[in-house]
Amino acid sequence: MTKYTANPVVWALVLVLVVAVALVVRQRKAALASRQEIDGLREHYSDLEHRYTQSVEAAQEEADEATKTVLKSAMRTLQGLAAEQQLILSRLQSKYGESAILQDLLEVDHTNSQFGRRAQSIAVLCGGWLGRHRDTASVYDVVRSAQGRVRHFRRVEILSQVDFGVSSRAVEPVALALAELLDNATSYSSPDTVVEINIRTVPKGVVIVVDDAGVGMNDEERARAEKLLSSERVSGVAGLGNPPQFGMAVIGVLCERFGFEVSVDSSSPYGGVRAVVLLPHDLLTGMPEKRVPASSMPAAPLSAPMSAQMQAPMQAPMQPAMAAPVPAPAVAPAATPVESEPERALSSTADGLPLRRRKRPMAIVPPTTPVPVGSTRSGAEAAAIMGAFQRGTRSGRATQPDDADQATSTRASSSEGHEFS
Amino acid sequence: MTGSEEFELESADLVRAYVITKGRGLPDDQQLSLITLLTAAPEQGQRTLHLSPEEQRLLDICSAGYLSVAEIAGHTKLPLGVVRIVLAGLTEGGHLVTRPPVPRARQADKEILLEVLHGLQAKFG
Repeated sequence: MTKYTANPVVWALVLVLVVAVALVVRQRKAALASRQEIDGLREHYSDLEHRYTQSVEAAQEEADEATKTVLKSAMRTLQGLAAEQQLILSRLQSKYGESAILQDLLEVDHTNSQFGRRAQSIAVLCGGWLGRHRDTASVYDVVRSAQGRVRHFRRVEILSQVDFGVSSRAVEPVALALAELLDNATSYSSPDTVVEINIRTVPKGVVIVVDDAGVGMNDEERARAEKLLSSERVSGVAGLGNPPQFGMAVIGVLCERFGFEVSVDSSSPYGGVRAVVLLPHDLLTGMPEKRVPASSMPAAPLSAPMSAQMQAPMQAPMQPAMAAPVPAPAVAPAATPVESEPERALSSTADGLPLRRRKRPMAIVPPTTPVPVGSTRSGAEAAAIMGAFQRGTRSGRATQPDDADQATSTRASSSEGHEFS
Repeated sequence: MTGSEEFELESADLVRAYVITKGRGLPDDQQLSLITLLTAAPEQGQRTLHLSPEEQRLLDICSAGYLSVAEIAGHTKLPLGVVRIVLAGLTEGGHLVTRPPVPRARQADKEILLEVLHGLQAKFG
């Protein structure tokens, strides 16, 4: 054994072995360390990746939010202007109601309404302003309001009515959603077809059924529409396609926010799309009171004296007969007390803020009774008065050039508004 | 957006006038002038079925007897032209009967006037 111990070769071998073992151990350690390092790196990498996607998402969201904010305030301005213009148009329409301009004013009004609806739709998608406060309105009026906001409103026919009203907070959203449906229905059907609207009561509330005779939707379009109507849709204006299709997305947002339902999954008996809007009971109220409650009132008091007058043939001069005090007192009592009642009731909002009511437009026939003055005078008296008046003006004209100083003094004192010609 | 601060105080009419007229044009002045007289047609059985609230209201107003267009418009808050369009539509639909306005004065007999003139000239001139 000792001879081996003295052998340097053996020592060398042992040394080599030790070195090899050490090397192997070291290698292993190194491998382990590098593996750990790789793991660490991998973890770090995935962490980085995660953070990257997060920050991208955040940036995208931020950009979306920024877009929304910009669009929202831009649309708010446009909506305000459209609403203002609508008020101006209303005023103009009553002012020039007698002239042929009215026709053009009505057309401008129609265009303005469409413009307002576009701005409103974009605002709704961006979570913006929906519009001005509306009073409770009948379902029929809400449908007609929607009808007025689409280009081809003449092709829309409302076939039935129900005795329900829409609560004031739902008036504008329902009208807007329905307008988008009608826009789709009229745009995707041929111009000589009619879009029918049926309003029915069902146990769950009221349904508004819109039938068009268009080409309908294929499965892909239908799936897309249903996705937009459901809650899985993308929010905001991204992903609306190019050219953007607002309709269904707007309806989806409105349904979710105000709690009514819209479905487009059935097909119309006319071959097109049947869209059904379901208004649940909590969006419905009773029929609102008429704004001008004189409707039924004058009929009763009018009937007796008017028909009596009509029996006598109209040889009597027309004007006194028609403008006689008969209709006037019928309007006066009917208009004033009933009108003031809803004004009291609605004079404050739910939060107790005062609510300014729109002034009632002036009636063309004033409810006062100035006519009897004329009728109490006899013909001779009237002739005498007119004669005196004429003599007076003639003598005034005759004396004016002669004594000018006197005329100027009287002019200054009494006849401020007279024209001396 | 449903907050009350978002709502402003004044809003335009919900149903615009061009929807009430159904987009029809103004009727002829001869067909329906301001002093044309209107009354509801005698048969009124199923009239409420397809008529808008405005049309029903106008029919109610007219049901009492003959009224002039101007007077009917005075009973509503609608612009006069709008009332004329709706009334024309109702007349076409057979719900209203029109009657031309009574002429202001009968045409004076020209011969009598001439005779008077000659008489006056003979006496004074």
